[in-house]
Amino acid sequence: MQILVKNNFQTWKKIKNLSSQKIIEKIKQSGLNGRGGANFPVGKKWKFSYPVKYLICNADESEPGTFKDHFVLKHCPELVIEGINIGIKALKVETAYIYLREEYKKLKPEFESIIKKHSPYNIKVIIGAGAYICGEETGQINSLEGLRAESRHKPPYPAEKGLFDKKTCVNNIETFARIPLIWQKGFNPKLLLFSISGDVEKPGVYEIEVGTKLAKLLNLAQAKNPKAIFLGASGGCFPADPNFILNHEYIKNKGGLLGAGGLIVLNQTRDIVDTCRSIIQFFTDENCGKCTPCREGNFRLLQLFQVILSRKWTKEEFEWIKKLIQFIPQGSQCALGQSSTLHLSTALKYFKNDFLAKIE
Amino acid sequence: MPKKKIKLTIDGKKITALTGQTILKVAQKNGIKIPTLCYHEDLKPEGRCGVCGVEVNGKIKTSCNNLIQAGMIIKTNSKKVQEYRKTNVQLVGSNFAREEAFKKWLKLENLPDIQELRFKPKEKEKIDCSACDISIDFSKCVLCGRCIQKCRDTQSVNAICFAQRANAMKVGTYFDKKIINTTCVGCGQCALVCPTGAIKERDYINEVEKALADKKKHVIIQTAPSLRVALGEEFNLPAGTLVTGQMINALRKLGFDKIFDTNFGADLTIMEEANELIYRIKSSSSQKNNKEMPMFTSCCPGWVNFLETFYPEMRKHLSACKSPQQMFGAIVKTYYAQKFKINPQNIIVVSAMPCTAKKYEARRKEMNSSGYQDVDYALTTREIARLIKKKNIDFKKLKNEEFDLPLGQASGGGAIFGASGGVMESAIRTAHYILTGKEFTKGLDRSGEKNIEYTAVRGIQGIKKATIKIGTLKLNLAVVQGLANARKILAEIKNKKAKYHFVEVMACPGGCIGGGGQPQPTTMEIVKKRASAIYQQDRILKFRQAHNNPQIQQLYQEFLKKPLSKKSHKLLHTTYKDKSKRV
Repeated sequence: MQILVKNNFQTWKKIKNLSSQKIIEKIKQSGLNGRGGANFPVGKKWKFSYPVKYLICNADESEPGTFKDHFVLKHCPELVIEGINIGIKALKVETAYIYLREEYKKLKPEFESIIKKHSPYNIKVIIGAGAYICGEETGQINSLEGLRAESRHKPPYPAEKGLFDKKTCVNNIETFARIPLIWQKGFNPKLLLFSISGDVEKPGVYEIEVGTKLAKLLNLAQAKNPKAIFLGASGGCFPADPNFILNHEYIKNKGGLLGAGGLIVLNQTRDIVDTCRSIIQFFTDENCGKCTPCREGNFRLLQLFQVILSRKWTKEEFEWIKKLIQFIPQGSQCALGQSSTLHLSTALKYFKNDFLAKIE
Repeated sequence: MPKKKIKLTIDGKKITALTGQTILKVAQKNGIKIPTLCYHEDLKPEGRCGVCGVEVNGKIKTSCNNLIQAGMIIKTNSKKVQEYRKTNVQLVGSNFAREEAFKKWLKLENLPDIQELRFKPKEKEKIDCSACDISIDFSKCVLCGRCIQKCRDTQSVNAICFAQRANAMKVGTYFDKKIINTTCVGCGQCALVCPTGAIKERDYINEVEKALADKKKHVIIQTAPSLRVALGEEFNLPAGTLVTGQMINALRKLGFDKIFDTNFGADLTIMEEANELIYRIKSSSSQKNNKEMPMFTSCCPGWVNFLETFYPEMRKHLSACKSPQQMFGAIVKTYYAQKFKINPQNIIVVSAMPCTAKKYEARRKEMNSSGYQDVDYALTTREIARLIKKKNIDFKKLKNEEFDLPLGQASGGGAIFGASGGVMESAIRTAHYILTGKEFTKGLDRSGEKNIEYTAVRGIQGIKKATIKIGTLKLNLAVVQGLANARKILAEIKNKKAKYHFVEVMACPGGCIGGGGQPQPTTMEIVKKRASAIYQQDRILKFRQAHNNPQIQQLYQEFLKKPLSKKSHKLLHTTYKDKSKRV
């Protein structure tokens, strides 16, 4: 894996005297995209954000079926700190925060010792309190300010008015780990970490190029009789078609989101509708509660899906399910709410018969 | 960013508007109504409920918090919007525990009636009525968040907050305490903005009705200055209609034995408070002891609670005078009882107030220096309206009637207590007379009459500052509305950044006319109209200064002797507690 390259902070030593413009220009040319799920070009984001007061490293990985951030944290924390060093330098940052997921808090001392040793800047490691919404940038900013974790309305974007109402830049932890690699030989911006779990012999984190066919990944992880894949909880549900391409545009056209590269494999014995039910349960428990459509909608969806544990749906109930799937993303303000029914809309598209079989 | 004019289309209508405005505001200005639920004019839109969603370039967006952009094509009533809105209303509606409240809201927002809701309401916690001022019924809450914004941003009290997340989310208190054990000051601003009645005043209608039915009881009602300029709104009269006469008539019809005026109590408060102010200024300058200056007004129980809870060390600054409500009660149970030979045990004093915190004040243990509780029940404007509606009295058709004497006559100085700055202005009028022997004037007005209006302290700004010269004294004054603003002034005083002599604080924006017990909706626009009615009333009254009220003069002659006398100290003054330990 490229990301596991041995690191002595050589990039940082090499470029720490470069100007902001030069660093940002290099990142822009490298073609590196953000790894938090939105796939936004990093160089472009830094260029329009420059300068910012606060830099946030989002290490609050909480998407079901995604654990590549943990992998990065565990195996290449030096790269992350090096990337943050570069970010602080390039964006003229005053304070940088690493927002660490509560479950990963045992990694905090190691981080702090690396910061002490290798960073001349003010970098603070903050432990989250375990809400899914804290993974969303504005929710995370609220949490950092000590407020209730709720998404904020955009605009204003964090680049204009973020943490403590000051200009802020938020990037995913894998993004930071990739940044120092740009200055090293053989950097490939297309390499992406995938977390694979579910009905596979070898679950784990794999680094492959964007645009690879699904077959390759399933082979690597040794999936047996795969029926479907879930791209995290919020990325959508698709048939395990070997020719399915792991590429952002392709998946978007199919009605889903590649997101942060989480992949849950389901084999032929699994019930798609019931899996959807447990994902709805997740969103019902984990939404921040701010917007009525997301909060009430997911709760009512769960009520409707709990019906199938004891009986079949009536036609009217199924109509309501379809109605809510369309409704929830329309009224929600943040990306999490908007994508909270993607798994249902795609499942309904590609596994329609599974659903029809549950209707009276 | 500089504002510029842009063009956009709403419902096919070509519109030019300035940037920086929300879609909702622009639509409203152009006469296009968009239904809302969590939106409130005076609060920052948060986009919680999603009811105000409209179609913007083909996508649904909430109109309350999305700004207009050039070339936007907005549809507020397309098929897509209708479908979206219906589903949303059905989901929100499943949270309205009372069907009538839901129907009322639908009608108010011009939404089509929805017969069948599809979903059963969630099971929620039972009502919290631990406090005597406000109660929270969690089952009626739709989580619009208005109350929390008021408590946090306007009042900086933070007694209520969102607790839990997702499906378990609720309007709660920190550590899930009962509301009585929180920092709640009882101002009732939360109840004033609650669209479903989940937070409302503790209702004492039953107790009052019971007292009215009891033949042995002599039931007296006193009505606050802010009631007569707002009660009409409950009966569909325009905001700012003065309904004093009709209100008195309605109260007589309800069976109250005497209808008196709290403005009389306000006049009395001014007599005592103006003298106390002068006493404090003189004693502090002679002993070079500035400890108890500036003096704070004590008419507002929300403010008193706030100071006792958050700044107990500063409570000595509070005027020792009771509020008009309490002074009035004490006088009824002593002077009035003796004069008319009624056993005070049989007197029930009900007060009609624009305020929820008055309920707490009435129940304070210190408020019984006559041997009886000064005031037995305090009702809000909304409760009075409910009582009138319950009796099927056609309010609009009532003829004007007059207050009873002797405690029904009041001066303009008492009347203006309802608006922010009123206590200050009234105190200035009387203090000026006490100090100089002459009435306060600001020269002649246009019609050649003496202008006695001190407008520097009027208006809806959060903090108003003024300096006035009375005789040889130069007084620095501050008038504050909203408790978040009070914190700013208190910080100034603590850090010795400013030197004031007299500070008036009203917990509610606009003063009592914007009080927590007033009719809904109350917005700053409506408050302005109520204020102009208050000042109009001041202008038409025969006596405009508290000390010129003949009934007050008679009261001092016959009973109290003089301001700050032993008797007035006993009956009309009070003490304050340190409540910081309570929470």
